[in-house]
Amino acid sequence: MGMARHDAYVLLVQGSSALPFLDGLSTNLVTDSCTTAFTNRAAKIIDVCEVISMTGQAVLIGYGPHKAHMIDHLSSRVLGQDVVLQDITHLNDVFIGSGDTPPPSEATVHESHFGTVYVIPKRVEWKETWSQTEWNEHRIEQVIPFHGHEITPKYHPLACGLGDLVHPNKGCYLGQEVLTRMRSRGKQGYRLEVRENPVEQATTKGLKRSLCIVRDQ
Amino acid sequence: MDCGTCESATPLQVHKPEEVDVSLTMTEKATSMLEDAFGDDRSHALLVGVLSGGCSGYMYDLQIVESTETPCQELNINGFRVLVPSASSHLLDGIEIDYVDRLMGGGFKINNPNASSSCGCGESFS
Repeated sequence: MGMARHDAYVLLVQGSSALPFLDGLSTNLVTDSCTTAFTNRAAKIIDVCEVISMTGQAVLIGYGPHKAHMIDHLSSRVLGQDVVLQDITHLNDVFIGSGDTPPPSEATVHESHFGTVYVIPKRVEWKETWSQTEWNEHRIEQVIPFHGHEITPKYHPLACGLGDLVHPNKGCYLGQEVLTRMRSRGKQGYRLEVRENPVEQATTKGLKRSLCIVRDQ
Repeated sequence: MDCGTCESATPLQVHKPEEVDVSLTMTEKATSMLEDAFGDDRSHALLVGVLSGGCSGYMYDLQIVESTETPCQELNINGFRVLVPSASSHLLDGIEIDYVDRLMGGGFKINNPNASSSCGCGESFS
């Protein structure tokens, strides 16, 4: 058991409307700390983020390569609401793991859909105990989808095993009509599976088994 | 976590579209419904705003307010004070406020020439 480095960006979302703002644009009910997905009108993933609720502000942790698109998506929708966005990626490192690693006192620890997330100030020296291969093996064992593998803009949240992040009755958000229709008709097009190797078109290739997203029959 | 409040982390530039002078219209039906709602009291205003969210990304927000701290353009439409937040003026220029009288999905409705699409319930647009 351990934790690996996560290629993440960290945004500070300040203001009295921080949580309602994030709630209105994502698939999960954001009233407190949680994991949620931001989707477009076609319900394709823009990013899947951790929301850490703190007094008077929220911290949004997403996947590094999706940062520019997410900032554009969020900033164009702040319409006079009490929301201020700050990029604090350069101040922090993010790790993710199985939750049994004691963190330093400066750490912010968040229980995510994918595992335990540690946000550590860069001034604090902390080393990952897992390589990316070990993290991937853990994910395959637990059937956990992750950024850059299963979670990509090519898929919607249901296809990559993130149905738990799609709240059944929270109300409208971008992509909600598509996701609700898929659920009500029982057709989501694709689904996440773990299969014994060799696996064609594996999204996460493991030593013995791999994760893949396969078309629903 | 370091949150940048003790050292300066510059706020991200929020996309601010140019403010436009809003013109809007109100149908007879909507005017009549507002007359019922306001009575003879014209001290209050109808705030027509836009919030992020909804199936299409933006949601209409109609409120009856006495005043607001949000910077707004104030219009007089058919004898009613109508406030439009400056931040969403580019999304609301040219709209028609209508009232649809039906049991399901009735109520005030915005016909918006700036919307490229809107959701089924009419509350959200993009």
